[in-house]
Amino acid sequence: MRIFFLKITIILLFLSSSLIAIEENSIKEVMSIKIDQVLKIISNKNLTKDIASKRTFKILDEVFDYKTMSKISLGKRYKSLTKEEKNRFQKAFENKLKTSYLDKLDLYTNEKILITDIKKVKKNRIKLYSEIYGKTETYKIIYKFHKSKKKQWLIYDVNIIGISIMKTYKKQFSSFLKENSLEQLIDSF
Amino acid sequence: MKLIIILMITLFIFTSCTSKKIDLPDQKENKMETNLLLEDDDFNDEFSEEEEIVDPLKYYNIMMTSVNDKIFTYGLNPIASAYDYTVHDNIKVAVSNFFSNLMYPIRFVNNVLQFKFKNASEETGRFLINSTVGLFGLFDLAKNEFNLSPHNEDFGQTLGHWGVGPGFHIVLPIFGPSNLRDSIGLFTDAYLDPTFSKERKSWKIPNNNNESILLNTTRVVNNTSLKLGQYENLKKDSINLYPFLRDTYEQKREQEIKE
Repeated sequence: MRIFFLKITIILLFLSSSLIAIEENSIKEVMSIKIDQVLKIISNKNLTKDIASKRTFKILDEVFDYKTMSKISLGKRYKSLTKEEKNRFQKAFENKLKTSYLDKLDLYTNEKILITDIKKVKKNRIKLYSEIYGKTETYKIIYKFHKSKKKQWLIYDVNIIGISIMKTYKKQFSSFLKENSLEQLIDSF
Repeated sequence: MKLIIILMITLFIFTSCTSKKIDLPDQKENKMETNLLLEDDDFNDEFSEEEEIVDPLKYYNIMMTSVNDKIFTYGLNPIASAYDYTVHDNIKVAVSNFFSNLMYPIRFVNNVLQFKFKNASEETGRFLINSTVGLFGLFDLAKNEFNLSPHNEDFGQTLGHWGVGPGFHIVLPIFGPSNLRDSIGLFTDAYLDPTFSKERKSWKIPNNNNESILLNTTRVVNNTSLKLGQYENLKKDSINLYPFLRDTYEQKREQEIKE
């Protein structure tokens, strides 16, 4: 009986730790597959914009942490919102992020994209480095992952040629909200 | 049975010391909450509530941003689009390579001034290869065949590298967003730039002012034609154009100085 328990405990321990490890180690592979899938969708000219966007976000939604992103974008102010306001803002902001992302994809013309490096910068932070090779320039894009409370690695910020999109949104929102209401902010999206 | 429990506890303690945490079920909720709090703190560190930066030229900057926006939208952009329509992509890339190769003195001197000697010597290698087999810089063989990528450095970055802060933000006519440090940088780099000159001397190419203007117009139109749509696309992300361009510019420069 003792040995049986011991075995079970040990097996469980190994299982649970290896589950986490796989997720962490597979970020690079998962992301490179996802990027390829998205590029395939947008280079398929037979798809309507609507369908292309739906398929794109079906692939990306599971790695983007929209909730954390909307929290970051409002900073301290987020805590003072009612639950209903939080939900509404989050939805609107998620849409804004997606529209902006699709706009950026519009500029894509068959450039090569490569994932160049992955670094665990903290216990709960991973940076995934990628490069887009344009006609004359190379653009660096860093996807920043955090470990969510569900122990999943999710993207909370993207750094494009040195510009953090979350920092930029946060700055814009905080100065806009000094003179305007949250409603007006949502309307401006 | 006791032994197993003790073993389990030690194992749990041991594993929780490593990065792969496993929680006891009854502690889980409690821990989750502290984790959440920790996470929030982390994000607060990374995205701190920054104070508004000092911006003494704000009203002039707002005015100049809108002037530049009009110059770009109604002047440069239509010209670059027409150019893009008539000139083949490969030629545009070659012209861009040609001008980029000419800027070698700026990159070389600023790499040296930042003690980045390996990059400076790679820049020299690039210049020699591209100016000769690369046909006066029209082809970037150094990058494509010898895997030597450019190391863009300018005097603004050199000043930043040695600890000079950006100073107040200033929007320059036509050049766009800049700050005190980078404006001084631009002025200094113009001395090294072979295309900027009123007369022909040593490494300067133009014989007079008009030729200098012509050369630089070609450079700007060609480069813009390679980036059509990018500015408009970026603009869509802004609620308020001037602070948006100011903040993205300062963030980008900070990153370039770090590299």
